[in-house]
Amino acid sequence: MKSSSHLGASFRDPSGFLFIRDGILYRQVNRVYAENYARLIDSGLYEKLVKARLLIPHIEAEEEPADPSQAFQILMPERVPFISYPYEWSFGQLKDAALATLSIQKRALKVGLSLKDSSAYNIQFWHGKPVLIDTLSFEIYREGEPWVAYRQFCQHFLAPLALMTFCDVRLGQLLRVHIDGIPLDLASKLLPGRTRWNLGLASHIHLHARAQARYAEAAVSEVRRGRAMSKQSLLGLIENLEATVRGLTWKPTGTEWAEYYNNTNYSEAAFAHKEELVAEWLAELQPKVVWDLGANTGIFSRQAASLGAYTLAFDIDPAAVERNYQQVRKDKQQNLLPLVLDLTNPSPGIGWANRERDLLTERGLADVVLALALIHHLAIANNVPFDHLADYLSGLGKWLIVEFVPKSDSQVKRLLKSRADIFTEYDRATFEQAFSKRYIIQKSSQARTSERWLYLMEKR
Amino acid sequence: MFTLSAVLFSVLGSKQAYLDPGSGSFLLQLLLAGLLGAGLILRSQWNKIKRFFNRKQSIEAPKDEDSDEV
Repeated sequence: MKSSSHLGASFRDPSGFLFIRDGILYRQVNRVYAENYARLIDSGLYEKLVKARLLIPHIEAEEEPADPSQAFQILMPERVPFISYPYEWSFGQLKDAALATLSIQKRALKVGLSLKDSSAYNIQFWHGKPVLIDTLSFEIYREGEPWVAYRQFCQHFLAPLALMTFCDVRLGQLLRVHIDGIPLDLASKLLPGRTRWNLGLASHIHLHARAQARYAEAAVSEVRRGRAMSKQSLLGLIENLEATVRGLTWKPTGTEWAEYYNNTNYSEAAFAHKEELVAEWLAELQPKVVWDLGANTGIFSRQAASLGAYTLAFDIDPAAVERNYQQVRKDKQQNLLPLVLDLTNPSPGIGWANRERDLLTERGLADVVLALALIHHLAIANNVPFDHLADYLSGLGKWLIVEFVPKSDSQVKRLLKSRADIFTEYDRATFEQAFSKRYIIQKSSQARTSERWLYLMEKR
Repeated sequence: MFTLSAVLFSVLGSKQAYLDPGSGSFLLQLLLAGLLGAGLILRSQWNKIKRFFNRKQSIEAPKDEDSDEV
């Protein structure tokens, strides 16, 4: 039998699982799921959803199953360039993922199918839009049945969106702690009282949390007492969830970096020169994958993307990421994915055996890493020594385009204003020396009319 | 035929529903069911009335759900 490895996140659903063989991703469909899979294809739903870019396309492969005793069919799904997680999405990304899930459920119900799960982790960003990657999420709809994934939808989407809208956008990070979505009793407790006047939130969060607490020990058959939910009512529920989600909004203002470019003292000439240098070096390298760390709203990420590189634009500030994402949607940009990431505490491996959601560096590597106007924030605001920085960055990709900002720069002065200057070794010579242990400095240039330096480095 | 598919559904249903729907979540949906179903009917009736009056001015194509952009 050929060797293959199961994916760490693919074990809950008995319908099938993902495995990798010879570097290719496959999905085994088990026999217990055969009827549902046939309905997905025969009803035309698969084709419709793929055409609308709401479901990942696959081909039926003639490949030996990873578990022949259960196998019905092997699929070869198209691969998403980078797997991202809900705690790395901005508000708008999570909202669009929620709306995509509901749109899929409505289309499914039309042809007698229903989503049997509504995990936010089943949604990925592909061609700039949210897409369902779990082909086995559909089951044949049974008249009278409530939505089995209702609770999961509220925990994975509605609760975090409501908390981000009414409390603080940073509460989206609760998804990193609660892998199956934010518990509704917690959401209900944190949300302000006025959300009880919002009919959608009153029902799907507050009342929902109370119903859960009250019937925690009851069996489903006990609470049902033979009652059914008509298809009309189920559609009503989906539409109500949709209206509730649409009603939640958040405007990216007033956070740390969203106004950065407006406040920085970088002169126009220096900024233009920096853009020129980065563009020139990127054009020389012709990278396939670029990671822009500290990307802000994505000015340099767009340079990389315009050269055809699949570009990830990471930033710690949810407002900057939101602006970047809205621009991506507006431009219909397909190869740029903005994500929220705190580099001082990057996404870890979480879930069962720490393998359900992979840590950042296990999900891919870059050809070129951009670290522009970033090093001083990590070295001074977070006290990371230069050699630790070089170690970590060199693990992310072969090439590095990095900017050194000296102590005399007003941005560094601002960082040092409120604290003792313990950084006696923060200078360009020490920086070059530390990075030279991991990289060969191929090019360097001072940005015209500024004290900042740009480097092109190749990993040793 | 109906019996066959009913049997099939009950078998498939129990095997496929790997997610715990939660008793409280199930009950809440059943309680909301009447309300939401009625809401949907009211909304579609209201749209019909609106369309009837709008038709006098302009003939508006009904919104196609399949074309909705996410």
